[in-house]
Amino acid sequence: MGAHRENVVKAFDEFRQEIDEHHDRRERLIKISRDATNLSKKVIFLLHRTMTEESNNDSNPSLRVVRRGREKLREVQALYAQIRFEVQAEQFWQYHRAVSPGLQEYIEALGFAHYLEHGTMVSYEEVQLSLSDENGIPYFTLPKEDYLLGLSDVTGELMRFAISGIAQKGGRARAREVCAFVRQCKADFERLTPYVKELSKKQAVTSQSLEKIEDAVYAIVVRGSEYDIPPDMLDDLIAQSISTFSSNTSAKTRLGQIDVRRGDDYDEI
Amino acid sequence: MVGILNKIHSTLPESIPGLLDSVRPMLHSCQITCAAMAALIPPSQFWRWKEMWTNSLRTAIFSAALVEFLATGKLISLPEVCQILGIKDEWKGRFALPVEDYLHGLISLVNELSRLAVNAVTLGNFEAPIQISIFVKDLFAGFSMLNLKNDTLRRRFDSLKYDLKKIEEVVYDVSLRKLAPPPQGGRQI
Repeated sequence: MGAHRENVVKAFDEFRQEIDEHHDRRERLIKISRDATNLSKKVIFLLHRTMTEESNNDSNPSLRVVRRGREKLREVQALYAQIRFEVQAEQFWQYHRAVSPGLQEYIEALGFAHYLEHGTMVSYEEVQLSLSDENGIPYFTLPKEDYLLGLSDVTGELMRFAISGIAQKGGRARAREVCAFVRQCKADFERLTPYVKELSKKQAVTSQSLEKIEDAVYAIVVRGSEYDIPPDMLDDLIAQSISTFSSNTSAKTRLGQIDVRRGDDYDEI
Repeated sequence: MVGILNKIHSTLPESIPGLLDSVRPMLHSCQITCAAMAALIPPSQFWRWKEMWTNSLRTAIFSAALVEFLATGKLISLPEVCQILGIKDEWKGRFALPVEDYLHGLISLVNELSRLAVNAVTLGNFEAPIQISIFVKDLFAGFSMLNLKNDTLRRRFDSLKYDLKKIEEVVYDVSLRKLAPPPQGGRQI
């Protein structure tokens, strides 16, 4: 019986090593994933911030803004380069749940930057390529699920982008573009919902975002039709009224206020 | 399989081997299932789909461990389980037997043995509880060596001490009434 215990202890000693190794690796990956999430969130905020700041004094600011965003994203890519040896072959799926949130956030930031630059969705191949070394060898195979879920989040950012930029020069035309784009996204994602868990939840969020953009665009069209002046002139009018009032309220209330002010200004003229 | 193994609680020691023989073919039939699954799973995606069969696999491990214990009184090792279930090393990445599932199977075994200790006494087998007690204590010592996180394995490990206590009580009752020869030294004298 003593020999039996010895055998048990020996076997469990090995299990301990294996389990410890597993937990340690998992912790490391979760940590890195969290870092990736934070960095990506910062990039998204950076993009929003600079887009609203710069579009006032630059005709085509997106390129410069995006370049800054992409520089930041390279830090996230470096994080994933770090873990490439931790998630080789079958291990990737073992730790998929640890890395997935960060990955989705990264794709969201990348997708948003890509839209600002090209006005299109970033393709799966492009994302995968951004997660590859200089020879084009992927750090790991990007799961299609994460790609889709990440993209689905982009619509939320686009909503924010469209609405907060609506008061700026060309903002209204842009809001309509974004509206059409998000609508198309929603339609295209719909047929993939049965295949990807959680996508239907994200679809509901997308619908909400879409509705917000639609309401904003509707307001523009209805109120814009009251004045028989070309859009350029309206832009100038609004810019003028904004420079007298600089408000830091949230995007949604700002939209309402501007509409009121626009009416006031017009009366004075 | 588990259904038949349940009969151990009402089977006299003499007829246990016959009972085990009737379970073994079923245990071996898992090999076909495992091979079929291994053929279905794409390379490197084992962990992606693993949760679909985890519970069944753990039950199979438990059955294999129980059969082994009843037959030899020994703890089945991980490679032995793999062999019985026909899980091959070269399937790595597509199908394997994770340590975690093996340990889950062993905890089920302890849960079952605490029941067996009681029922063995009912059947008049007073030595079994002592044998079980020693076996489970060894196993518990093994589990105590692991650094477990706050997961299901940990929770189930915590339940082990109740099983241990139950077995201890049975052993206590049996030895107090001198129904069984004292363990270890007593028998050798």
